[in-house]
Amino acid sequence: MSESSQTHEAAGRGRVSGKRGLVTDVRREVDGGREETAKTQREVGVAETRRGVATGAAVRRWLAPGAAVVLLIAGWQAFTTLSGTDAWLLPSPADALAAGREDRAALLTNTAATAKLALAGLGAAVVIGLALAVVLHLVPLLGSALYPLLVVSQNIPTVALAPLLVVWLGFGMLPKVVVIVLVCFFPLTVATLDGLRRSDPVIADYLLMSGASRGQLFRKLELPAALPPMFSGLKIAATYSVVGAIIAEWMGADQGLGKYMIVAKSAFRADKIFVAIAVTVVLSLTVLGVVLLLERVMVKGRGRA
Amino acid sequence: MPENALEVAGLRKSFGSLDVLDGIDLTVGDGEFVSVVGPSGSGKSTLFHLVGGLLQPDAGSIRIAGQDAVGKRGRIGYMPQQPALLPWRTVEDNVVLARELAGTPRRKSRAVARDWLDRAGLGGFAQAYPDALSGGMRQRVAFLRALLSDNPLLCLDEPFSALDAMLRADMHRWLLGIWEENRRSVLFVTHNIEEALLLSSTVYVFTRRPARVLERVEVPFARPRSDEAVDDPEFVRLRRHITDLLKTEPLKGPLAQ
Repeated sequence: MSESSQTHEAAGRGRVSGKRGLVTDVRREVDGGREETAKTQREVGVAETRRGVATGAAVRRWLAPGAAVVLLIAGWQAFTTLSGTDAWLLPSPADALAAGREDRAALLTNTAATAKLALAGLGAAVVIGLALAVVLHLVPLLGSALYPLLVVSQNIPTVALAPLLVVWLGFGMLPKVVVIVLVCFFPLTVATLDGLRRSDPVIADYLLMSGASRGQLFRKLELPAALPPMFSGLKIAATYSVVGAIIAEWMGADQGLGKYMIVAKSAFRADKIFVAIAVTVVLSLTVLGVVLLLERVMVKGRGRA
Repeated sequence: MPENALEVAGLRKSFGSLDVLDGIDLTVGDGEFVSVVGPSGSGKSTLFHLVGGLLQPDAGSIRIAGQDAVGKRGRIGYMPQQPALLPWRTVEDNVVLARELAGTPRRKSRAVARDWLDRAGLGGFAQAYPDALSGGMRQRVAFLRALLSDNPLLCLDEPFSALDAMLRADMHRWLLGIWEENRRSVLFVTHNIEEALLLSSTVYVFTRRPARVLERVEVPFARPRSDEAVDDPEFVRLRRHITDLLKTEPLKGPLAQ
């Protein structure tokens, strides 16, 4: 590692002195990576004594992906530094970091706006998607009639539909929420519907023989049985919701990360676009994390993944 | 004289061209333990689905405690072949399920559930989830769930067929112990002759499909019974008798060719 950063330094020396800072940043990042590696190894050690399982699994789970991310960023930094690519074309991670630091106030407001939009859209998608799944399950005729339509609806490109929505619904929050719902409801509805349909027939027989009504069968068997698959759908929907919000903001918005990206693009500020992308990823992961937490609380017994 | 727990008369059922039950007459007296033995595929489970109200018979009557029960669900305490526990509920909350379906709130049944779990040797598992239990323990939970239903008639559908021989003997002792305590009326379906003789006071031997009652065998042993009953010469004679009944019964239908 140190050998390669020496090479970077040697390569950087010939160039503008301003680039020196970058090389130091690289080294800092490499060191940071080493620290992370040490921490991960500690975690692996704890896991090993606790569970007494092979280290291989823990390495695969934490060490390998962590190393991949560190290597990717380091490689990117090295490439931009060594090749001398112009920052407006491909900024280095350090450039992006600097841009983010400089613009943090604007980023914060825009991130808040996008988060609000994404959550509103996801909330609406959850309500609509779950209601749809339950209705399609409880009314089988409606289920067979609408299911193919549902699948077809997913082949309509949302980006093409977006301008129409603006024509119909204006520039306010509503058309943006509609876009997010269109992107998010499908995985939720399909996963939940599958879960409802695949509840254990042996348990269903038991419940019916014991006098369960249709409502009781639904509440006591089908609904709880559908929770784990429902969460699988919700994890996908949660990730889509942030991306959906960005796309919705491209339709025309006065704030948000999508709007921020468009402004940055017009100003040829690739570094700012990368910052916005990084923030989007973090936002997505945060929403996903909340869903995972919710799953831990709500799914009990064998259903737990 | 209390009503019979279950009276089945002239019960017929076919699925399309497949005749399954061909006129079954069967009675479970109040507080009586009655078994049905028959070759596999002799329509024993169909009998249960009829008694449980899941299916409509083509002919015949079913009366539970004197009341017409044809097509009426929720009149029996049922224990299926597989334990069929809800995996997301604790053992305790599984045990109260039948009462919950009948409208008794869960919290009102918890005390009696815990009491029975203690008596059944499962006291330490009230808060566990079913996947933490062994196969035998899950069957015990499924039995308690049936026992705790408010219906006096228990229907047990080959409940121990998936267990190994040693565990099965254990479960027999356990079941007899609990049954002696409250003497519920039981209809027990099995293809294990020894199990039927050990547990019941009356054994109905079914023919192959379409099923009829081949013979009604009274089991004379005094209660409470221990598993030593199986060595009794009379027990051995009855076991041989039923085994021969099932063996000499002529093949019918496509298998006969």
